[in-house]
Amino acid sequence: MSSGEVSRVQVVKASMILTARNFFADPQWVIPSIIAPFVFTLVSLFLFSHVNGPILLYAVLGGGMMGMWGTTVYGSGSSIGFDRWNGTLECTLSAPTPLMWIVLGRVIWNTLEGSINALFILAIGFLWFRVGIGIADPGLFAISTIITFLSLSAFGLLLANIVVLSRKGGFLTNGIEIPVYIATGTMFPIGLLPFFVQGFSFALGPTWGIDAIRKAAIAGYTGLPVSIYVDLLVTVLATVVYMALSAYFFTKVEKIAKRNGTLGDY
Amino acid sequence: MELNIRRALFEGYRALIGSLRFGSRGTIIWDSWDMWLLEIIILPLAQISFFEILATYANYSPAMVQYVVIGNAIQTMSFSSVFAVANITSSDKWQGTLPSILLTPASRASIIMGRALYQIIMSTLISTTGLLYAYFLFGVNFSSANYLFLAVSLLLTSISMISFGLLISTIGLYMRTAMIVANVFLFIGLLVCGVNFPISELPVWLRPLSYVIPLTYGLDAVRLSIAGAGFYAVGIYLLYLVIDGLAVFSMALLLTKTFERLARKSGRLEIY
Amino acid sequence: MPENCVETSLLHREYANKDFFGRVKSTVTALHELDISVKYGELFGIIGPNGAGKTTTIKILSTLLLPTSGTARVLGMDVTRDLYRIRKNIGIVFGGERGLYNRVTGFQNLMYFSDLYGVPPSVSRKKVPELIEMVGLTGRENDKVEKYSRGMKQRLHIARALVHDPPLLFLDEPTIGLDPAGSRDIRQIINDLKKAGKSIILTTHYMFEADELCDRIAVISKGRLVALDMPSGLKKQVKDITLAEVHVYGDATPLIESLKSIENVSRVFSDMTGDRTIVRIQTPDGSDVLEQAKSAASRLNLKIIESSVKEPTLEDAYLRMVEE
Ligand SMILES: Nc1ncnc2c1ncn2[C@@H]1O[C@H](COP(=O)(O)OP(=O)(O)O)[C@@H](O)[C@H]1O
Ligand SMILES: [Mg+2]
Repeated sequence: MSSGEVSRVQVVKASMILTARNFFADPQWVIPSIIAPFVFTLVSLFLFSHVNGPILLYAVLGGGMMGMWGTTVYGSGSSIGFDRWNGTLECTLSAPTPLMWIVLGRVIWNTLEGSINALFILAIGFLWFRVGIGIADPGLFAISTIITFLSLSAFGLLLANIVVLSRKGGFLTNGIEIPVYIATGTMFPIGLLPFFVQGFSFALGPTWGIDAIRKAAIAGYTGLPVSIYVDLLVTVLATVVYMALSAYFFTKVEKIAKRNGTLGDY
Repeated sequence: MELNIRRALFEGYRALIGSLRFGSRGTIIWDSWDMWLLEIIILPLAQISFFEILATYANYSPAMVQYVVIGNAIQTMSFSSVFAVANITSSDKWQGTLPSILLTPASRASIIMGRALYQIIMSTLISTTGLLYAYFLFGVNFSSANYLFLAVSLLLTSISMISFGLLISTIGLYMRTAMIVANVFLFIGLLVCGVNFPISELPVWLRPLSYVIPLTYGLDAVRLSIAGAGFYAVGIYLLYLVIDGLAVFSMALLLTKTFERLARKSGRLEIY
Repeated sequence: MPENCVETSLLHREYANKDFFGRVKSTVTALHELDISVKYGELFGIIGPNGAGKTTTIKILSTLLLPTSGTARVLGMDVTRDLYRIRKNIGIVFGGERGLYNRVTGFQNLMYFSDLYGVPPSVSRKKVPELIEMVGLTGRENDKVEKYSRGMKQRLHIARALVHDPPLLFLDEPTIGLDPAGSRDIRQIINDLKKAGKSIILTTHYMFEADELCDRIAVISKGRLVALDMPSGLKKQVKDITLAEVHVYGDATPLIESLKSIENVSRVFSDMTGDRTIVRIQTPDGSDVLEQAKSAASRLNLKIIESSVKEPTLEDAYLRMVEE
């Protein structure tokens, strides 16, 4: 009889690869998640085209961020739903691995997919709107991007949970996208938002992440009144908190699933 | 002969009521009270807010910010007029009910119109909520609005946009990508129909799309009605709207028949 | 090592139907105080009509579902507590179309599940081709699953449950919806697995399948265990519906009268078709009664054209038990 723990790295990797294979088998399904960020960015670029200065770079970076968000939100929201739809939910749940690591693999792939989406948006910005490419501090820019990427994945993981727990998957995944674009300041400073929304903004890791990315990319950018290192620190903290919350919620999800015999039928 | 016409009318009526019931259940995704809440209350608010703040940040004049607010208030009807309608066929396919629906002897047009009727009501409702937001939250000036013209414009815009949704849904009869096309056209209006900026700012190669989508004319009619323009000024856009709506609808009918024939030939009705 | 790989005691499961506000409206008892035990190496069948509670039982034993009360031990471990250790040592096959990733290949499906079960890649690279061979999918392993026939998918399903080489297997209606050839392939695989020493719990509602495969069978109906025995034992319970049949020419009334007086005969019916009469005698003692009928017929000068004894099938037994 075999015992001992299943390696989490192995599970995350396997689940990521499977998600990637599913994606490449029919890549057109990514379009629903990229179309909104893409159009929103184009519209923003049109609106900003009257404004001078580095605002175009600001907008293109924000657009990239929206692209990552869009895919993450959509992919995470549907990661359990996909198994239900596909009829593999029971097989997945019956594996001797906590569900969290399986979903994490999927979420990481979704975020990667989102990064490709983001690059695509950046390319359009640079080619069509001739946004200047100069990145002020490439090193910090890369670090900020990677940290933001991780915090997006962690957020996606949390979201995947909430979607299952609340049984309102469609509601959340369809309803949260634009509010998140607004709250995280993808296209305008959060200072323009009503006070109560700003509180929500500060709780979102990517709000700080995009601020760090912009500080690293645009010389003289002010953004949030803290140093880029504070931005990064908060992003990392938020990531850790999301992971911890996810771990807690996933145990709950699995308990509920076993008690009810199903993960919500809808 | 007369009997036949009456029977046809009766059957058309039955099919219409049946499809209306079906339409009210909507697609698989959009079927519960929370989706209603989302579609009518939350999404319009979120979208208007996003672009209103954006326009403010981009130093738009107050008049242009109002332009953006009204544009988005009306555009949000795409959720039910374009997206939901375009998804109907793919949801039929998904549930495997398409062959049985096409097997019924009811005329295609009455089935389609029955489904559309429900979405016309929804679309008008969504845009009305959008305009209420515009008035109460975003300070759009309605003091000289002509409400009769506004109501007519809204209704005609809904109807024509649903014709457009039908045209897209028709593609679903034949293609695997109906869902994707629906998603693209849910948002493309934001870019090409003069929602956030006049279409004169678009590159020339994108403009033909603007002229095809009825939303472009609908927006002009709505904005003029709110600004209190006269009968002829609004009327000319309503005329464009009706002509475009009819053209799009005839196209949808024609394509339905063609695609149905093609689909029967290639046996694709069940594939999704 | 204990003798039993599965033991349940007063295993009970209710499902709650909740209303809009989450209040419990009504409950359905899917499983009523079930007591079964399955020996190592045994092929144990669970049969019962739709909704009897077969899937519920399998789900509880495979740690996918918690019992409302009662206990179940699988491989000596408690299903409510040792779930990851149990899961590492059991394989589950659900019947039906679904349960595989359709857009990727059969091979990739198996590799994926190997990873989820923590099989070291060096092992799975050898094991997966073996499994593919075993379920007869060699040559098709690199096709996407959506191109597989129903039967191939079901065989892949079985291979999937074996990636971690578990000693205990749960098969929930593995032949449902398959054509005769497809079902035969699956039965063959199940037989091979049994020979390889696996303990197997199989649910089905095809009686001949249970009869052919199982060492012991539990019959459940409406969540209750109504019988538990070897197939032959179950059939004995309906011995009284053995039918002895004789076909004779002419008027059989005197024969029928004399047959009714034989001990052990519970009913006699007859049927006229053309020039012959078919006499059917229901008795627990088919061959003996048939002999007596033959001699009675020759005493009455009736010519016997044909005679036979029909032993009760598992299906007769089953129908009797679940209809009671
Ligand atoms: N998730 C569930 N919620 C409520 N009732 C359920 C659920 N799953 C099964 N049931 C009920 O429990 C009973 C047993 O079901 P099941 O174990 O699936 O039967 P079988 O597999 O023998 O056909 C049935 O009456 C079924 O309707
Ligand atoms: Mg069952």
